[in-house]
Amino acid sequence: MKTCFIMLLFLTPGFLSLAGEEAPVLAGEPYVYKEWETFYQQEDGLPNDHIFALKVDGDRLWVGTEGGLALYEDGKWKSWTEEDGLPFNVVSSIAVSEKTGDVWLAMFGGGVARFSGGRFDHYHQLNSGLVNDVVYGITVLGDEVWAATTAGVSSYNFVTGEWEIFTEKNAPMEEIWCYNIDSAGHKVYVAVWGGGILEWDVEKRYWDAHHDPDREMEIDLYRDDGLIHIITTSVSMSEVMWASTYFGLSRYDGRHWRGYTRQDSGLISDFINFADGRGADSCYLSTDLGLAALVDYNTNTWVTYKRDSEDAKNWTAHIMIDNNIIRSVPVHLTLPNHFIICSEFQGNDVWIGTGHGLARGIGKGFYDGLKRKTD
Amino acid sequence: MKRFISILCLTAIVVCAGVFSSAEDVEWREDASRVWDTTEVRGTDPEMLKKNYGRTPHEYFPYSEFSDPYRRFFREPLQYRGYGRHIPEPDHVDSVKIGFLGPIMKTVSVATGGASHEEPMGHKMMQGARLAIEQANARGGYRGGDIPFELIVRNDNGLWGASGNEIITLGYKDKVWAILGTIDGANSHIAIRVALKLELPMMNTGDTDPTFIETNIPWVFRCITDDRQMCYFLADYVFKKLGMTRVAALRANNRYGRMSIDEFRDAATRLGHPFLTELNYKVGDTDFAAQLTRIKSLNPEAVITYGDCEESALIVKQMRKMGMNQLFLGSDRLVLPKFFEIAGDDAGPVAAGYPYNPESQDPKYLEFCQAFRERFGDEPETYAAHAYDGMSMIIEAIQRAGLNRALIRDELAKVTHYHGVTGIKEFDPIFNNISAACLALAEDGKFKFFTREELLGESDAKFTQSESVKTEGE
Repeated sequence: MKTCFIMLLFLTPGFLSLAGEEAPVLAGEPYVYKEWETFYQQEDGLPNDHIFALKVDGDRLWVGTEGGLALYEDGKWKSWTEEDGLPFNVVSSIAVSEKTGDVWLAMFGGGVARFSGGRFDHYHQLNSGLVNDVVYGITVLGDEVWAATTAGVSSYNFVTGEWEIFTEKNAPMEEIWCYNIDSAGHKVYVAVWGGGILEWDVEKRYWDAHHDPDREMEIDLYRDDGLIHIITTSVSMSEVMWASTYFGLSRYDGRHWRGYTRQDSGLISDFINFADGRGADSCYLSTDLGLAALVDYNTNTWVTYKRDSEDAKNWTAHIMIDNNIIRSVPVHLTLPNHFIICSEFQGNDVWIGTGHGLARGIGKGFYDGLKRKTD
Repeated sequence: MKRFISILCLTAIVVCAGVFSSAEDVEWREDASRVWDTTEVRGTDPEMLKKNYGRTPHEYFPYSEFSDPYRRFFREPLQYRGYGRHIPEPDHVDSVKIGFLGPIMKTVSVATGGASHEEPMGHKMMQGARLAIEQANARGGYRGGDIPFELIVRNDNGLWGASGNEIITLGYKDKVWAILGTIDGANSHIAIRVALKLELPMMNTGDTDPTFIETNIPWVFRCITDDRQMCYFLADYVFKKLGMTRVAALRANNRYGRMSIDEFRDAATRLGHPFLTELNYKVGDTDFAAQLTRIKSLNPEAVITYGDCEESALIVKQMRKMGMNQLFLGSDRLVLPKFFEIAGDDAGPVAAGYPYNPESQDPKYLEFCQAFRERFGDEPETYAAHAYDGMSMIIEAIQRAGLNRALIRDELAKVTHYHGVTGIKEFDPIFNNISAACLALAEDGKFKFFTREELLGESDAKFTQSESVKTEGE
């Protein structure tokens, strides 16, 4: 027993300090989401507990689930399923047009829908230029809707009605399996499964590609040489590019790359479903083991939220530098499972969607980065 | 100090894992009790941490001559940490549905614009899967309660990523409990990404592309020995046993040709014998004179192709006609009686990797062959035999787990060894069959099959190529 205890000590991330290695010191206090609200299907009116997508639209929140679309507004839920005209129940991604206010839905096996004025318009392989009905991601840039599908990318200009398709025939796609899509400025960014990250410059009509420089599946040769892995799962543009994989996270500022894995950071797990950038210094990662938030790039300070044991009722926030736990804080979050699929910011709040329930972290007094004593 | 602590930590991990995980190699663990929310259905094998992924020999490991990698992947078991284990079984089912995804209908080939070509393989795969289902039903069906297993068949080779749509239908409409499929590398990749989102176990029995499993998806299993193992054997034979150094490649210009030759090309390069040239052809081509003329001028000792049987046979036939008597190397897809029908009985020296030994005298295999002949009036081959094994594993997992996709996945994830009709399979931490391949050598108009021991004097069991590994991040 004693031997086991000593061994467990070795396994503790904070073991460095016990072994005499100088423990890292916080440069300041990161913000920790301590108050959370939870929402479930039965109790709260969500159409389904399996949450695939979140999209903030001002004070409203759109939620895509495995069993329908939901809207949270003024503390009340409203939902739509196939019985209400939703073309397909599985909503995998949501985008809102700033110009028209229309809500665009990616449906996992059902194509794309526009929800406008209470009506759903359905676009699919057989009636439009959508390249495939298995749609993983959707974004709106100006007058164009972009859809990432399992067989390439389609764009639709909702003013001219013109569709355009991008596959390996006309884009540098080593594979055509597009997993996620984001847009910012005049560019569209695509996370391609087996193809890294692609950038499309809408004005110059030019593709740029980011790959894993070592070109090997079983290793990452150098930490900061480029994308960690060619299998990318999401991309988020927020001043810099954040790209998630099932092997870790990559950050690209246009000149330098930085890689993060559970070996060298507060990333709880390398299996990242979704990355949500919050500026150049912060990114929230939806992992299979909880929410990992890089809160200060310069000091590699993280706050990770997870259930510490299978029978823990509440989650715990761990404040970390590199992969060392500096301090742990109990939080009022009771979701029963920490397999997080998506996240979204609403002002100071953060929403997370899991395989069983939705939660909102209430950002009362939220601040970016670290609060130093002099602040 | 840092180095000392790192070593200490690694040692502790290794010892602890040994203490807390029961790593005995059994076909199926007996502790089939439900493990709600448990994330460690299969613990880390400390021995695996000492080895290269995929039994890669040191000299074939990427950049091994230059640098140790910052991170190595695929040496710890994949974990599913989602909510699925909590979903209750349905109160009643009329049948236990298992999906089949494979190329069974003729269509237009995306790669060539011509006719598709994988249907014969798909039909054999379907027959093997069907036989396993029928035999399970004859034994009493689901848990002996006379609820039959039902095979739900979907075609996967339609255009525009149709395999994705088909698997959505299997998952959401047909509500299958697991899926078996498929052969084409692109369709397999599409299918497993959908399976991940649907949280649906997927057993692959026909796609030998190494990258298929290198995606870290905890819902995917493969029971056929892949091209990594077949290429290593072929490379060992050509470069180490025969001492050749000059190899030229002529492969299919499709995903199969591009991806499957990868490990052989890398092995050749890493041994200091890069291909003299790598040319390609379009699937369906019948005249290879232009490429072979170029290759002949380079005076190779061997020519390797990765493609289907017809083209491979035509290439070797035209090579011999041109006076090119070099060793001809290929993939398992050429190992068919049809090869000699096209190339002629005197095809000269030919060697190809093969995922199992079809001349096995294992009673289990002989019994399967007999049952297959009686049911379908035809001989089984690799796609049928591996589909039979894969479907048998799925059925066994369902019998143990009950009707819950996550628990079925857990049962499959526990398997470290499985004795199927294609031999004893060893599964690595990412649920890939890493059993040693065989080599098929042409002799008198037939293929003969050899193990590593028979050809290289090296025990299959010792084909582990362990090496000391530096601490990650060091």
